[in-house]
Amino acid sequence: MNALEIDHLNKAYGSLRALTDLTFDVRAGEIFGFVGSNGAGKTTAMRIMLGVLAADSGQVRWKGSELDLEARRRVGYMPEERGLYPKMKVGEQLEFLAGLHGMSPTEATRAVEHWTDRLGVGERRGDDVEKLSLGNQQRVQLAAALVHDPDVLVLDEPFSGLDPVAVDVMSGVLRERAQAGVPVIFSSHQLDLVERLCDRVGIVRAGRMEALGTIDELRATDHPTWLLDVDAATDAVLPRLTALPGLTATPVPERPGQLHVAATTHDAETPRAILRAALELGAVREFSPVRQSLADLFRGVVSAGEDPAVDPSASDAKESAR
Amino acid sequence: MSSPVWMVTKREFRTRMMTKSNIISLSIMLAVIVIGAVVGSFFLDRDTEGPSSSIAVEQGVTALQPHLEQAATEQGLALELSTLTTDEAEQALIAEEDPLDAHLSGDPSAPRMLVAETADPAVVEIVTSAVNEYVLAEQIGALGGDPADVGTALATAAPQVESLVAPEESEFDGPAFVVSVVMISLLLFALIGGGSMISMGVVEEKTSRVVELLLSTIKPTQLLAGKILGIGAYALFQIVVLGGALTLAVTALGLTEDIEVNVGAALGLLVVWFLLGYTIYALLFGGFAALVSRQEEIGSVTTPLMFLLFIPYYVTMFVVVNDPDSTLARVLTFIPFFAPFVVPVRDALGGLPMWELGVSIGLCLVTIPVLIWLSARVYQRGVLHTGGRMKLTEALKG
Repeated sequence: MNALEIDHLNKAYGSLRALTDLTFDVRAGEIFGFVGSNGAGKTTAMRIMLGVLAADSGQVRWKGSELDLEARRRVGYMPEERGLYPKMKVGEQLEFLAGLHGMSPTEATRAVEHWTDRLGVGERRGDDVEKLSLGNQQRVQLAAALVHDPDVLVLDEPFSGLDPVAVDVMSGVLRERAQAGVPVIFSSHQLDLVERLCDRVGIVRAGRMEALGTIDELRATDHPTWLLDVDAATDAVLPRLTALPGLTATPVPERPGQLHVAATTHDAETPRAILRAALELGAVREFSPVRQSLADLFRGVVSAGEDPAVDPSASDAKESAR
Repeated sequence: MSSPVWMVTKREFRTRMMTKSNIISLSIMLAVIVIGAVVGSFFLDRDTEGPSSSIAVEQGVTALQPHLEQAATEQGLALELSTLTTDEAEQALIAEEDPLDAHLSGDPSAPRMLVAETADPAVVEIVTSAVNEYVLAEQIGALGGDPADVGTALATAAPQVESLVAPEESEFDGPAFVVSVVMISLLLFALIGGGSMISMGVVEEKTSRVVELLLSTIKPTQLLAGKILGIGAYALFQIVVLGGALTLAVTALGLTEDIEVNVGAALGLLVVWFLLGYTIYALLFGGFAALVSRQEEIGSVTTPLMFLLFIPYYVTMFVVVNDPDSTLARVLTFIPFFAPFVVPVRDALGGLPMWELGVSIGLCLVTIPVLIWLSARVYQRGVLHTGGRMKLTEALKG
């Protein structure tokens, strides 16, 4: 299987468990979004993938065999802590890194020219890295991850600190690499970007993969919910709706007249029944299914950790993803 | 060859060679040596000409000539002798170019000495001694003796010194001492230079975090090895260029004639010991530097290593140089941290048997793999450790 497989990784720093049985895969040609709150273990996982850190147990495989040093030379990596030699010229530095990844000097020169031009820092090839703005250093850092035409891309927070134009360039590059059959995994806190860009998403909390799948899969829930805005007193609407079988209704906080109506079953008849009941009470201004954004899903997963009883849907999502 | 170690080596060497500060400082040092040699040769050449004087004698005093020549040789003075009449001499004494220093006439046993203004004390001394010799020879001849026999007898009339206790073999050899001190100072300079470059390089990679990017493609040991080789090549380049320039300058000035040490061979041995010493100390510097995360903290790990360098340096300078064959010197020859300083000095002073040299080099070569293991272990654990200093014991335990 042409996939990057992360198989039951465990890692502890002293008494702190950084990763617990972390398992997922990134398929060839897929962009995978790796999200989680600060300290959830994303960077630890990525460092283990790149062999910078040793796992206590578990394995990372590429195309079915262990991702060893030889295979890692074909991986493009952007570490969370950006790192380049500050007093080395952009071009020389990228050529050096390309060389370490096994490129010949002529290939390296050509690749460096291509990627610095593509990322908009072509004119700065002769400058020391420390003379560049942080945003441009970031672009050079990405060039360092891409310069050797990698088979796998692992990027830790590639979008942080980029202006909107650079974000577009970066997104375009990631899509293009994925289309070329490269598995791309990146972590980010910009969830709208992850939602737009990623084929699949994994949400980690406290070192565990809590939710994994396409965004639609993660949204799939046993409690379909609708937003209802009806021109009638809420006191009158609530009992009318909860009288219907299997429905619960709650007013939307700070939105007078709006209600969230949740069902316990998937039934095509349910929305019609809700709408009929609402129309009997007054004019319906809005009636639509609630589509949770990734941010909502993320909050659900994260808050589940704070009090496991609050939101059981997160663990449901995890079960469905497995 | 394009192994990762080689590429790291190349980068280290190039980035250090190509910096402006390096090119400038190396040019300045070379310029100082060349200027020193030129200025030195100017002054030294004036000295070698030495003083010379010219004395003329009248026909009647030619019997003084051999005595004058002998006296001048004893005084180390170049003497130009000629025969002139008093009239001619008066002209020559006040001549513009190469004036005569003195003219002798009258009785050889008490000649009249004519000078331009004042008599040169050196010339007076020569003439006095020549006249004394002449009078002594005349008197000996008048008494029926042979002046030549008396001269020979006088020359050998000296006490034969014999001591009951044999003097110590080692005499203080000035030039050899200077060569030794210059050699180990150059070595110390190169080892400290190389060591601090390595520790700064290791910490630079840690602070700039580039190490994480590097370690995703190469092994920590490869990175450390490349760094040590590259900086070592650079330090060796410096030592050879500067040491070579110094040797050339000293040879060109003719200063080596007085030195009984074979400077070329000493320099060759010094390079061998630089390589051994550098490898030993570079491994320690590289491993230790990985324990800290910021440039400001380097001192805390390099200071003990500096002591480890200064102790053998001073022990060699004050103990070994004075007595290269003492028991202490022989013991230190077999301790790898001391050997790079002790051995070249003992060899330069001519007191090192071949087998001791061989065993000493062998012991260093055996120590190096142990240090590689130790240093790699500390480096591997320390290099990704961030935030504050890591304890050595922590790094060793892992």
